[in-house]
Parts: sequence; structure tokens; C-alpha cells
Amino acid sequence: MLHKRLYQFVLVYFIGLAFLFTVKEVFNLSDYVIPGLPDIYGTVRRVFTRYLLDVLNTLSVAIVGHILSIALATVVGIIGRLSNWMGSLIRTAAFNVQAYPIVAVAPMIFILLGDGLSSRLLIAAMICYFPLLLSFIGILSEPVTDIEHFYVHSGRMRWQLEVKIRAFENMNKLITVVAGSATLAMVGTIVSEFIGASAGIGYSIRIALYQSDLSKILVALFLIGIFTSLYLAVLELLGNIVSRSWGEKEA
Amino acid sequence: MNIKNNVTVALFMLIMLFPAFSGCGKKHEEVTKVSYRLKWLFNASVAGDIYADANGYFKKEGLEVEVKEGGPERDAIKELEMGHAQFGVASADQVIRAVSKGSPVVVLAQLFQANPLQWIYRPDENKIERPEDMKGKVVGITFGGNDETIMRALLAKYGIKENEVNFFSVRYDYTPFYERKVALWPVYRNAQGIIIGDKLKKAGESAAFFDPDTSGIRFVANSVITTEIMIKEHPETVKKFISALLKAWNEALKPDNSDKTVETIQKFDKDTSPDVIRRQLDITRQFMKPSEKTVFGAIDVAAWKQTESIMLEQKLIPAPVDIEKRLKMEYNRQ
Repeated sequence: MLHKRLYQFVLVYFIGLAFLFTVKEVFNLSDYVIPGLPDIYGTVRRVFTRYLLDVLNTLSVAIVGHILSIALATVVGIIGRLSNWMGSLIRTAAFNVQAYPIVAVAPMIFILLGDGLSSRLLIAAMICYFPLLLSFIGILSEPVTDIEHFYVHSGRMRWQLEVKIRAFENMNKLITVVAGSATLAMVGTIVSEFIGASAGIGYSIRIALYQSDLSKILVALFLIGIFTSLYLAVLELLGNIVSRSWGEKEA
Repeated sequence: MNIKNNVTVALFMLIMLFPAFSGCGKKHEEVTKVSYRLKWLFNASVAGDIYADANGYFKKEGLEVEVKEGGPERDAIKELEMGHAQFGVASADQVIRAVSKGSPVVVLAQLFQANPLQWIYRPDENKIERPEDMKGKVVGITFGGNDETIMRALLAKYGIKENEVNFFSVRYDYTPFYERKVALWPVYRNAQGIIIGDKLKKAGESAAFFDPDTSGIRFVANSVITTEIMIKEHPETVKKFISALLKAWNEALKPDNSDKTVETIQKFDKDTSPDVIRRQLDITRQFMKPSEKTVFGAIDVAAWKQTESIMLEQKLIPAPVDIEKRLKMEYNRQ
């Protein structure tokens, strides 16, 4: 699974690179617009280690932000599944708040929390939290009638059991949603670093853009892609383990 | 792959590549419809550009010019090479970086005779009369931006070690300066300088500006650019364009024309009050046409060479680029 994700990414990356080189040749563009191979190679030698550390920094924030989002979305999703006014309020709020573009909200976060770790974490969590929440609410508010009616009629149904049944019956969907939102957590962290933070690969990309240095951006994109693929593969692996262990328990 | 597929692929390639090669072998005719990509948003810094457009200076030369607003993610040089624009505005560091990477960009006119990038500070709390006064102070810089290059050049020139100054990473948000976490904050003197100065005044504080130019750092700001190909293939268009543009700038900067210029800018920059625009225009004039004798658009070759050597010293370019060869002096003599 891991090697499949990695080689798929590397293939897509090099197809993209080949496309850029074709455009460069066809339109006779200078290295300022699209860098040539020697320029990219020189940049790799200069910035690879620094960018690697930046990506690891970003990834660590993204993972923490992702875990926070999953935890919060689970709790709020459990409340939001209810058909009472509280559930309705949470569902409406989730739909409305996710409509705000993060670039409009982020400056306020940076003014309030500064340009440190907390702002990056919050923005990363915000970007992946709302899609997660909406999926969790959708999954947890969908009754599994075949199983639930037995517990309802025998008077043994409790909310913990209801959540467990719905989560178990939709385990594959939940795993897909969690894995999918990992990319959003990474994107969220990079966006926050780009907008206002002073660390991470998003910050380095911003500096590279100030310097109109596409070589640096290509190196950054490569590393971001590799590490996002790794994280996704690890999540899928964990998802498989969880699915298997739940299946065994049930058996 | 069968023959039919091969033919389809070949036809597809031909259609895709047709626009790129369609000009081959043709005699180049002058163009009348061109695009002009500015460096920044519409404000007093681009007074002459929008004045030329709004008051028909380009039309008088038989040109239809689309003046496009710039912005932080816009790069006129890249747009010139891609063919999205024929003329543009770029800062000297952008031009030098592009030349060092083989770009065919050339400079037609230098808009700012002195760089408007300065550092705002509170004179009641910090006395900054010379670069040495910055020692021990928190100085804001945009890492990767040209204010970083200018500040590092200044420190190097005056033998100030970088650990003697505390750098603070600057973004769009001025709160650290308002909260006094940062003593000196980089601003464009003719744009944000006025707005922030007003805010300080409102709060009962005074503002002053530290200008690296007065300490001998000559780092060229914005200039009008095009490509060598454009000059070679459409020389008359280039002449007409630059002639119209310089005429418009001269008119826009005339103190007697202030009302008309402010009115023109206001049409494009609706968020800024006419009073602020007027003051921005007054200061812009000082940077672009410091005296009556100054020829608007004149290229300061010595300042360009210094800009190049600063970039070379800071390893922002790998080797000298002989920038003077890209400065087209013949277009800005009036």
C-alpha cells in the first residue's frame, strides 16, 4: 500500500514536471519562468535538508491538528446526530461556518493568537474539521434499522450503543473520510504558514514566491507530496487494522 | 497504437502547437492592442499609468492598452514571457533575478528615482538618525522580500553584525508595531506610510521614517519593462507606448494637475479617501520627480549597478548580469 502510494505520487509529479519542461521548450521560456533541470538540481542541493525539516515540522502540526479535529468532530457529531434543537443548531452552524473562506478568517486568528504554533494548529484543525464533522453527523444520524430495532424494542438501547452500531456499520466510510481529511489537515497547515506563520514549509514557499524562485517551490511540492502520501498510507494501514480487529471482535 | 490513433495524436499535437509557431516566417507588423501589467494595486503609486488610460494618452498614439492591476502574486516579467502582457512594471531586484535566469526583459523607464521603502518608527521612543542607532532594536523585515535585502545591505555597509539587531518577521498585520513589540516597521512611504502615520497621530503619537537611501543604499524600485523581442519586432509600438506613458506621468505629477489626478485615482481606488490620495500623490511626486529638473523616467545606471552588486553580495544572484546592457536609455530622454 505504502509503495503504491509513493510511486503513484512520484509518477504524477514527474508527469507534471515533464509538462512544465514541454511548455518551457515550446514557448522558449527562460529559467525565470520555468526553471531548467540544472537550476532545479542546484536548488535541491542547496535547500533539500532545510525544506525536509520544514515539511516534517508542517506534518507534525498537521497530524496534531488532524487528531484534534477527529476528536472534536466525533464529540460534536454525536451531539449533532440528535433530532432535537441542539442537534439542529450544531448541524446548521457546521454548514454555515464551513462556508467562510479560511483566508478571510485566518488574519483574525493570527492577530488574536500571534504567528506561533497555536494559530497554525487551529487553522489546520478548522480546515479539516468541518468536512469531517459533516460526514460524522451524516453517518451517525443515519439509523441502522435492522440492528437497532431489536435493542429499541427490548428497551436496551442507549446512546453509546447507538453510536457504536452506526460507527461499526459505516466503518469503511469513516476510515475513508478520516484518511481524506488528512490531506486537508496538511493543506490547512501549509495555508496557515503561508498566510501568517513564521515556520514550516508554507512559510518557505512564501519566501520562495517573494524571490520568484519556482525551483524551490518544485522541491517543496515534491517533499509535501511524499510526506502526505506517507501519512495517508499510514492512516489507511491503521484503518485496515481497526476494521480487522472490529471484525474479529464481532465474530 | 494503430495508424488511426497515431494520426489523431499527430493532429492533436499540431493543433496544440499551432499558436506557438504560427508567427514563424511572418514579417512582424506593429501591434495596436497591448496589455500593461502593473506591479501593485491601483493607488497613487500608479497615478500616471491610470491617468494615461483614463485621459486617452494611449489612444492619441493609436494604441489600445489594457492596464491590468498588479498584486502580491503577480509577476509582470513572467507575463511578458508568456505573452499575457507586452509591457509591465517590475522592481529592480525582479529584473536582475530574471536576467540572471536568462529572461529577455529590458528596462524602458525608471519610475521611482528613490526607493519609497522606508522604516516607520516612533521618534519619541526611538532615536534613529543613523544606521548604528538600530543596534539592539527590534527591526521588522519581510523575509525573502526586498526590504530584507535592503536592510542586510545597510547593516553590512555600516559594519553592524546581524546579531546586534533583532529581526522580526513582518506580514500584513501591523499589530506588533502598534503594540510596540517592533520598533521599526517597513512601509512604502508613499502608501502605507501615510495611513499608519495617521493612525499613530490619532493615538496621540508621532511617526518618523528611516530612509536607507540617505545612508547610501541605492536600491532601485519600480521600472517600466518589456522584452528584447518586443523592441525588435514592434519598435514603433514600444516608442508610442513609452512616449504616451511618460507624457501622462509628467502631467499626472504636475502640482497644478493634482485635482484631476486625485479624481482619476479615486475612480480606481475607491477605498482610499481623496485627502489620503492627495497626500500619497504629494509624496509619490517627491520620489519620482524630486525636482523640476528631474527627467521623469530617467534610468539611474549607478543605482542599478549598486542594486546588482548588493544582490551579488547577498548571493541572490550567482554571477554578475551586466544589468546596464538591459537599460534602454533611448526611450526615456524627453
